[in-house]
Amino acid sequence: MSGSSELAAQDRGLGRREFVRVVTLATGGLAVALVPAPLRAAARALLTGVALEPGVPLGPWVRVTPDNVVTIIVSQAEMGQGISTTLPAILTDELGAAWESVRLETAPFATAYQNPRFHWMFTGNSESSQAFFDLMRRTGATVRAMLVEAAAQRWQVPSGECRAERSAIVHASSGRRATFGELATAAAQIPPPQDPPLKADRELTLVGRSLSRVDVPAKVDGSAVFGIDIAVPGMLVAAIRTAPTIAGSVRRYDEAAARQAPGVRAVVPVPRGVAVVADTYWHARKGLAALQLEYDAGPVAEIDSDLIDARYAHILEDGPWATPVLEGDVAARLGAAAQTVSETYTNPFLAHATMEPMNCTADVTADRCNVWAPTQGQELAVHALAAALQMPEDRISVRRSPYLGGGFGRRLLPDFVIQAALVSRAIGAAVKVIWDREEDIRRDHYRPASTIRLAAALDRSGAPQALHARVVSPTILRPVAPFLDRQMNDTRVDPSALEGMLEMSYAFPARRVDFHLFDTPIPTSVLRTTGFGPNTFALESFVDELAHATRTDPVAYRRRLLRKNARGLAVLNRAAQLGRWETPLPSGRGRGVAYARAFGTLIAQIVEVSVHGELLQVHRVVSAVDPGRVLDPGIATAAIEGGVIFGLAGTKTEITFNQGAARQSNFDRYVLPYLAEAPELVTEFIAGGGPLGGIGEVSPVTLPAALANAIFAATGRRLRSMPVTRHGLRFA
Amino acid sequence: MLELTVNGTIHQVDVEDDTPLLWVLREQLGLSGTKFGCGIAACGACTVHVDGQAVRSCSFPAGAAGGRSITTIEGLSPDRSHPVQQAWIQEQVPQCGYCQSGMIMAAAALLKERPAPSEAEIDAAMTNLCRCGTYARVRRAIHRAAATGRGR
Repeated sequence: MSGSSELAAQDRGLGRREFVRVVTLATGGLAVALVPAPLRAAARALLTGVALEPGVPLGPWVRVTPDNVVTIIVSQAEMGQGISTTLPAILTDELGAAWESVRLETAPFATAYQNPRFHWMFTGNSESSQAFFDLMRRTGATVRAMLVEAAAQRWQVPSGECRAERSAIVHASSGRRATFGELATAAAQIPPPQDPPLKADRELTLVGRSLSRVDVPAKVDGSAVFGIDIAVPGMLVAAIRTAPTIAGSVRRYDEAAARQAPGVRAVVPVPRGVAVVADTYWHARKGLAALQLEYDAGPVAEIDSDLIDARYAHILEDGPWATPVLEGDVAARLGAAAQTVSETYTNPFLAHATMEPMNCTADVTADRCNVWAPTQGQELAVHALAAALQMPEDRISVRRSPYLGGGFGRRLLPDFVIQAALVSRAIGAAVKVIWDREEDIRRDHYRPASTIRLAAALDRSGAPQALHARVVSPTILRPVAPFLDRQMNDTRVDPSALEGMLEMSYAFPARRVDFHLFDTPIPTSVLRTTGFGPNTFALESFVDELAHATRTDPVAYRRRLLRKNARGLAVLNRAAQLGRWETPLPSGRGRGVAYARAFGTLIAQIVEVSVHGELLQVHRVVSAVDPGRVLDPGIATAAIEGGVIFGLAGTKTEITFNQGAARQSNFDRYVLPYLAEAPELVTEFIAGGGPLGGIGEVSPVTLPAALANAIFAATGRRLRSMPVTRHGLRFA
Repeated sequence: MLELTVNGTIHQVDVEDDTPLLWVLREQLGLSGTKFGCGIAACGACTVHVDGQAVRSCSFPAGAAGGRSITTIEGLSPDRSHPVQQAWIQEQVPQCGYCQSGMIMAAAALLKERPAPSEAEIDAAMTNLCRCGTYARVRRAIHRAAATGRGR
């Protein structure tokens, strides 16, 4: 192993380049720390708006009561990625509080809780750990320093002789001890130090360990509060239906019939639809049915998948193009090449299909707006509400539910929040609006479909000398990053739609990337993997085709492309080893490999399948992952494992359109993977010592290409689009 | 007026017979642990026990529950001590957690019927959807709970 000083400096107690391996079919044996108090209390605090434990605030992140209850504020939305464990644990570790007695509280919207990189409060882009790691350490150190100073002053001893230990400050030589609670009032008077010393990594006892997730107990006993579970006094419930087509509207409905239905209190028009408000959800739903809604299909009623595909294909030939990357003389190299390979790949529209459908609780009066929502985008919601209600922001409160039943980027958008606020304002009462699954899928902002053509010039040894990529995609970022609107209009480039293309791990001597920002009335936005997913499907399928065109083993081909990338080689080789790449397989069975650098993390994945007739079985998926360092092996492993299944979903099902509407609106047609289809998973981490990378969206990035490459190995059939059902295959 | 026995307690609820049991549990009885995922019995997030059998409550009319014993996730144990809940904690199964009430109820029903299920029996019984993809840990936790049941 290399002995670079950078690696040594990054050695954080894991051991240099230590391999942390978890094989999921063996007994876990994960380290189990004691579990902090359940969040039920925090949910009550959420509803009343009053902090449960008043305590003494020591900055915006920590509060301490006289009887030594330490409360840490959770800024990031917990949607299954474990961030409500990881970030508070980092802070707790640096602070020196006793983890098992820490309480957690969900943050309101405030600038203190903004992502420090973007100065915007949101959860997404696999960057919560990356963005907040330093801030959590600094915050813990700052509060610790204030408490230490308070103790030092009280005891008239040098502060350097005091240290924090399990929610107390101790002075070893005199044996004196005072709890955080006893010191908090005095500590709050001490000016926070600008540059408090951080603990050495070897002093950290939580960071790097597999902790018991703080949310697990509430999620196994039914007490976890999701947005859909919120209840506020006097609240009514609304069922909602908007026109099924992409741009349709409501033509007519029988309001009187709905009002006569039991429990119905109001019928409220909303943009392109109607909300029925009642005392219970079921009454609201029955009222909705009684409306006998009729729709106008709207201006784009002819939208169907064949037409859309044809438009993509047309643009792929004709452009026009923005060219954000032009390195070297690609055209000349393609013209002079010993061999050229050119292929076109397409990715389908995908739905978020979070298990918890969209919902929001709102209480809007003439001069106040209170919202409770399972939101990833608290800040955007506040700004959007201010605009929609024409209300100053200091009159608007958006409280995030303790848990989100999945996010995947859908809940960054404020649409469902604004909708609930408008209904509440119309009826003059608090209301919880619940979307049923049909509404949830039809009113999704889909992962956009894309078409990608890749052409490579190969020299006589088969090495690529030039790459020309053309990507046609609707926007990914615009709905969640309105501040990028002007830039995207000027450049006609959506940076997220080019993730994995703008910066490539493989060193091509010449490279050109063309992009066409595809205009479509179909709503599109961020969905887990954003641009990395669709672009990596194309690129890693293409690299496989280059390997096969040059009669080279696909792993060997990639080794050559990564030859100057030590960390890349390490994950590739480890995946190949764990994936038993060299071991021959019987006919009908095959392995595929894919590699990517996404969200700052390196991943190599090997998928092993068998194909018999139309039946496809995925046997095993190996992921070797280098996120720089691993903050919590258990949580990271779970995220990679779960991401494999999420990636598989993108190869099993899709959203298609017919007569202006999505064909799929529930799980009968948008068919997700079942437990019976889940492969054996092997996940291993390499702490490669680079900057901290994200985890949450990484493993679905490589899955579709690795699967397509495996199917090719097993059958000789090359799939250049997903899902597999387009090619007469179905999951066994 | 409907009389329902839920988690050992008798309740009188004023609902129409065709109200799905799911919504009666969540709204009339305030038991929000059972979740709404699809409304067409396709996802299993709403799974409860009716006389010990796993039932998708979104498609089970409250009127059919009279005289029968209903158990929700809240009633599985008073303190997370049910072997399935313990196994779920040991294996750290949940991610977002929204499907897990239904998943746990389905697993508990399976284990009552099949204390030592084979992989094929687990495959056939556990058709609950998990969008976060926790299936590998669900499977492992079921085996762990089964082993606990056998006293090991």
